[in-house]
Amino acid sequence: MPNVPALSLRALTKRYDSGLLALDSFHLEIPAGEFFGLLGPNGAGKTTLISAICNLIRVTSGEILIFGIPHREAAARRLIGIAEQDVNLDRFLDVEETLVYHGGYYGMSRADARRRAREMMDVFDLRAKAGVRAPELSGGMRRRLLLARALMHEPPLVILDEPTAGVDFELRIELWRYIRRLHSQGTTILLTTHYLEEAEELCADIALIRAGRLLARDSAPALLAEWGGESLADVYVKAMAS
Amino acid sequence: MSDVALTVEPAGGALSRAVAGHRGLAALATREVHRVIKLWTQTIVAPVVAAFLFILVFGLSLSGRIKLVDHVPYRQFIVPGLIVMAMVQNAYANNSASVFQARLDRYLNDVLASPMRNWEINLGLSLGGAVRALFIGLVLAAASLPLTGAPIRDPLVLAAATVLGVTMFSSLGVVVGIYAKTWDHAGFVQNIVIVPLSFLGGVFYSVSRLPSPWREISHANPIFYLVQAVRYGFLGSSDVSVALALGITAGLTAATVAWSAWLFKDGRKLKP
Repeated sequence: MPNVPALSLRALTKRYDSGLLALDSFHLEIPAGEFFGLLGPNGAGKTTLISAICNLIRVTSGEILIFGIPHREAAARRLIGIAEQDVNLDRFLDVEETLVYHGGYYGMSRADARRRAREMMDVFDLRAKAGVRAPELSGGMRRRLLLARALMHEPPLVILDEPTAGVDFELRIELWRYIRRLHSQGTTILLTTHYLEEAEELCADIALIRAGRLLARDSAPALLAEWGGESLADVYVKAMAS
Repeated sequence: MSDVALTVEPAGGALSRAVAGHRGLAALATREVHRVIKLWTQTIVAPVVAAFLFILVFGLSLSGRIKLVDHVPYRQFIVPGLIVMAMVQNAYANNSASVFQARLDRYLNDVLASPMRNWEINLGLSLGGAVRALFIGLVLAAASLPLTGAPIRDPLVLAAATVLGVTMFSSLGVVVGIYAKTWDHAGFVQNIVIVPLSFLGGVFYSVSRLPSPWREISHANPIFYLVQAVRYGFLGSSDVSVALALGITAGLTAATVAWSAWLFKDGRKLKP
């Protein structure tokens, strides 16, 4: 899919039934192969944006295209993998079952899903926990399993909603290694995070959002040049106060 | 970290995509049945034991005092109603609990974000309760028919009524699982609506023997018609015509199936 953006949001608006305007005519385009960071305070609209892309909320108006395909179509759904901020693992399934069933939901044959699950368990060092149910895993193992599940069906666009929230330093570095490697293999990544150093470290392109609107978007050095300051934290503070 | 690739080239054309769509349904249905099997002491053994105790205690102990109901020995008369009561209660309980738990823990998002179609998700979530109910019905029939001597007079009517009843309550379970905001909501429908209507649906007695107005009131109970259709399938007799019983049961089943289908199509209760 040459020259087709991995993600296009056109005038995307989401107003919840409560009246809250979470996204206000939001425009965004992410080229294929990009490592894109989305920064903003709580309530900025990051999770709403991701939920809209993943067809987990109803969109009020606007358009979402995944590699040029409307986001509600099955073909578009297959192209996205998501690791949500909250650990939402099936409490009745063990690690291997979680991965195999996820592969099935995305149309993989049982044999392919089993093979891929074994690969993912090896990649994320989960093999020893293959038969352990999700509620019995440590917090770090659950984060790994969330990431492994998001990658099971080999999506070219992976959305990571605060994947390192609440994890210790060692696991954060380890998850960074997984994510960097995934990007190096050609996967487009959309990352939301509260950790500014994480966005600066990983993302080639960064967007700052507040109250459902895009405030700024550029590389970290370009944002520093535009807004002034010595770090991304300075840019963030200035942008949010603007 | 292993050197295994995190991505591979996607493959497949239109045909493989069509096949893959049904794989999603198969996976979700298997997951729901898998849950039933994992929790077998709660999902199978407990309801079978409870229903079988009813057959033993009421059927065998009271059959000495109540000889015949509508020319049928009492120990045989109560078997169809008790089997269908156990089936529909468990079809409902299974799906309302499974869907509500999936919403509460938000692992339903893994399914909602997938390429599965709305009808596939609806059907996949419904099948767990249906399989559980059919398994309970088969075990109860296998245990109680030899014990009581109850016959199967009209297998076609029995099969039709069973499929309709299980479908109706499986869909109702999915509907309530979607609407429920707490565990109490799902339990309320079970304890305050389904169980009382089951007991008052002519499971233990012939409604035709009730004095007016209780006889007429009983005819407003939707479960009454399901019990009558199943009883006709087993014993060849019922309080109302089998066509009426099957017709009303089919109408109610169509209504609950349409309700659950609309909830998935509309999406408001599943996607804010």
